[in-house]
Amino acid sequence: MELLRPSSVQEVDGGVFLHGGSEVVPLLREGLLEAERLVDVRGVVPRGVQDGVIGAGTTLAELEVEPVIPDALREACRLAASPQLRNMSSLGGNLLQSTRCWYWRLGYRCRLHGGDRCHAQEGEHREHAIFANGFCASAHPSDVATALVALGAQLRTSRRELSIQELYRVPDEGDRSTTTLEDGELLLEVELPPVEASVYLKAMDRKRWSFPQVGVAVARHSDGSTRIALAGVAPIPWRIESADELDTATPLPRTEWKVPLARALVRRALAQLA
Amino acid sequence: MARLIRTEKEVEGRFEEVWIVVEEDPLEQWPAGPLAVVGRPAPRKDGHERVRGEARYTADLKLPGMLHAAVLRSPHAHAKVRRIDLAPALALPGVRGAIGPGEAPGLAEEPGFSGAAVAAVAADTFGQARAAVEAIEIEWEELEVVIDPDDAVRRELLMAEPRHYARGDVEKALAEADVVVEATYRTQTVLHNSLETHQALCEWQGDALHVYISTQYIWGIRQAVAETLGLPEDKVRVVCEYMGGGFGSKNGPDEYTFVAAELAKRTGRPVRCALTRREEHTSAGNRNATIQRLRAGARSDGTIIALEGEFTNSVGWSGWNASTEGPMRMLYDCENVRTVTYGAQLNTPPMKAFRAPGFVEGTFGLECMVDELAAKLDVDPLELRRRNYASSNDGTPFSSKNLEDCYRQAEPHWERRHEVRARSDVVWKRGVGMASQIWYGGGGPPSYAWVRLGSDGRATVITAMQDIGTGTRTAMAQIAAEELGVPLEQVDVVLGDSARGAYASISAGSSTLPSMGPAVRAAAADAREQVEDIAEQRGLPKDTPLQEIVAVLEESQILGKGARGPNPAGMSVLTFGVHVVEVAVDVETGEVQVERVAAIHDVGRIVNPLGASSQVEGGIIQGIGHTLSEARLLDPETGRVLTTSLDAYRMPTIADVPEIVCEFVDRPDEHLTNLGSKGLGEPPIVPIAAAIANAIRDATGADVHELPITREEMLRALREAQQRERETEKRGAPAAV
Repeated sequence: MELLRPSSVQEVDGGVFLHGGSEVVPLLREGLLEAERLVDVRGVVPRGVQDGVIGAGTTLAELEVEPVIPDALREACRLAASPQLRNMSSLGGNLLQSTRCWYWRLGYRCRLHGGDRCHAQEGEHREHAIFANGFCASAHPSDVATALVALGAQLRTSRRELSIQELYRVPDEGDRSTTTLEDGELLLEVELPPVEASVYLKAMDRKRWSFPQVGVAVARHSDGSTRIALAGVAPIPWRIESADELDTATPLPRTEWKVPLARALVRRALAQLA
Repeated sequence: MARLIRTEKEVEGRFEEVWIVVEEDPLEQWPAGPLAVVGRPAPRKDGHERVRGEARYTADLKLPGMLHAAVLRSPHAHAKVRRIDLAPALALPGVRGAIGPGEAPGLAEEPGFSGAAVAAVAADTFGQARAAVEAIEIEWEELEVVIDPDDAVRRELLMAEPRHYARGDVEKALAEADVVVEATYRTQTVLHNSLETHQALCEWQGDALHVYISTQYIWGIRQAVAETLGLPEDKVRVVCEYMGGGFGSKNGPDEYTFVAAELAKRTGRPVRCALTRREEHTSAGNRNATIQRLRAGARSDGTIIALEGEFTNSVGWSGWNASTEGPMRMLYDCENVRTVTYGAQLNTPPMKAFRAPGFVEGTFGLECMVDELAAKLDVDPLELRRRNYASSNDGTPFSSKNLEDCYRQAEPHWERRHEVRARSDVVWKRGVGMASQIWYGGGGPPSYAWVRLGSDGRATVITAMQDIGTGTRTAMAQIAAEELGVPLEQVDVVLGDSARGAYASISAGSSTLPSMGPAVRAAAADAREQVEDIAEQRGLPKDTPLQEIVAVLEESQILGKGARGPNPAGMSVLTFGVHVVEVAVDVETGEVQVERVAAIHDVGRIVNPLGASSQVEGGIIQGIGHTLSEARLLDPETGRVLTTSLDAYRMPTIADVPEIVCEFVDRPDEHLTNLGSKGLGEPPIVPIAAAIANAIRDATGADVHELPITREEMLRALREAQQRERETEKRGAPAAV
């Protein structure tokens, strides 16, 4: 395995990108990710916040104390992981993290790993998805991504600009990927439109250092619209138009509890927004 | 003088009748209450060594030429090795040896759970050993997998004959009862998760085997290794100077020890075999899940007249059928009790003792049911417990029981419930719950200690025991210092090596202090008497400080010898306590927050109040994990463990720890040894789950029946309580008209 340390974005040419390492290193160690070439992108990905643009290399620890970013994003960072992990983890890496589905993490030959079944659907799925779970029942773990969906973030990569929602896709038979990034495409910046107010609420099964059972981000935008996004309920960060949309959830038997939980958190978040 | 007695030996609630040579225990107990050193808070003698990283744990040891072993574990919950080829592993760089099924105890040809050891490799580095394990070629024949405990009981796939117990006539009493409650409680499988994983480092020196191991029982390892390998016991030396926790899972040698010993023999090099955290989750033992189908009947005055329980322990592939029914038999004065306990043998990882095995689970069921009974009877839960106070253990007198004093000390905490409930709002409902505790913890003989005293007035306690991490060195030093009349700083404790000291008790079953403490005191007393002899011969007054008396010794030393005397004959030695817990429940999201725990325990004399409160806090925190967030989950199809990492298996963080108030009755058990102390390692984890569940009921009216109390279980119980309330209103409406 070779390790590259490019000094400009132009030098970047494929490989597995490594920033804080809190996701990639464990995946390599477990054999869930294979890399002939590791590319340490810390020298080329912008870091810090300027004029509403956040470098994808900014750590969650830096963001949780950043006064100029919206509340929902700051809170999502603060409630994520542990202080040690937040010190290492980059914003870009957080958006691109893989699911915590135990079947996926243990290397079961599930659909996300190219197999022909979702083990969670018939198996142990108490922490899994309640939306878009017909093909793969994994739940997306990123608090930060969910906040960015509600905030309507725009992303800039080494090749294009896209909205945060365009970054994610529900996996299907033809394409098992949960993101639309192409091979060698590097996430560089996140731009946030101004919002009037925003809130992030998170349910965990202990007080800290836990992925969201359900996370709820809401943001009131300058055009008067309110955006709601959920973490931990679908294979990707999940946007809903209103709390009523939770009536259309398709929970698995042991994930039914997430529906009333999400409903309560959405109601609470909207109330806090007002 | 030593004498031979027939006695009942108890470890972790398991009894056996044994012949045992015990020495007399002629010393009178000290007066109750704090003394000069004993009964006063003492910081850990080894605290600085530990936090500076100087304390040497088994995990820190490196011997010249040491190899690392890795273990091939069965991916299947039940299978047979049809063919295995170690040659591809042996061909890899750094590999020095490989063994397969049958070549070391614990390497199975027909593994009965996913994670069972099958083969092992020793290599220069752990990475090389792991890579070599991957290269082993193996063909499996998959066999039938049973993981449902009820299914196993139906098919009589049991670890042992079902255990039946009965007194009185339960059917008749239930028919006569004014109130009957019936409920099924379930507890989950949880993992010990010791900070230091299970491991051993073995080295052969000639025909002697040196075993460096993270263990709770140096002498048990010595005996078991010698017996299994066919060695004289004196040819096995066992060393454990410091260890990073065990909680019952490190009482025996297990496969990693035998793998290291065998590979060390074959390679002529020292070999370490250490489990990874993932192996710890799949293969190192667990607290088994239980199903408890319970009934209780009471008269309207609150007298419990019938208790009945059918208990199923999901033991796993190996382990034993723990006394989940114990609390139902022992906690209350109830004339009619009937229990049956099944130990289901399953193709799941093995049960091992875990901090009060059986009683933690059984107390959850029983004490929740008692509160459901209290609610139905409309009797105060504390009052109900007092009305059914047991004054003997099924006819056998207690050596001491001060649970009544625990209840009295609990009153101010219990009284807070009015104020706590009043702080509820629309979302957060607050309440207070309690649960009582009964458990063993009396220890027993044999255990020996020596005390060596030099002319500088410094004393060394020497005993080949282990310090599981509970502050043993400190407590033993306090006892010796008290008896010798010297400051604590003048006493050292040397332990951890079977070659350097006499036999010492297991550190399990809350037995370290009650087993070893009296031996240390006896040894110190022996030394003190010799010092007094010298003083008398020198014509010194009786109150001459020890240091002055021994100053004439020069190279001479005083050697004191002490042994643990017998337990009181015909008596039950048990520990007691009560927890009062305050919780807040978010009734919309099902979040449960434990806000305050008051723990009052009756464990005889307290030697080190600081160490004792650490034990209580640790037990409560571990118990909160058991109650609220920890669960080892299996794939229902394959029986494989899914929660193999610490992000999937969720232990409490420091943010989850509530305010904890520790109190003790601190009254020596006048019948128990020269010390009057019982153990405290396990009691604090026994009542916490039920106390939390009862506080939840007080706060919300919801009956939780399953551990852990996840949001799923909490929201279910809340929904059920709402439905019940609506039905009651409906039924109540016409009557009100």
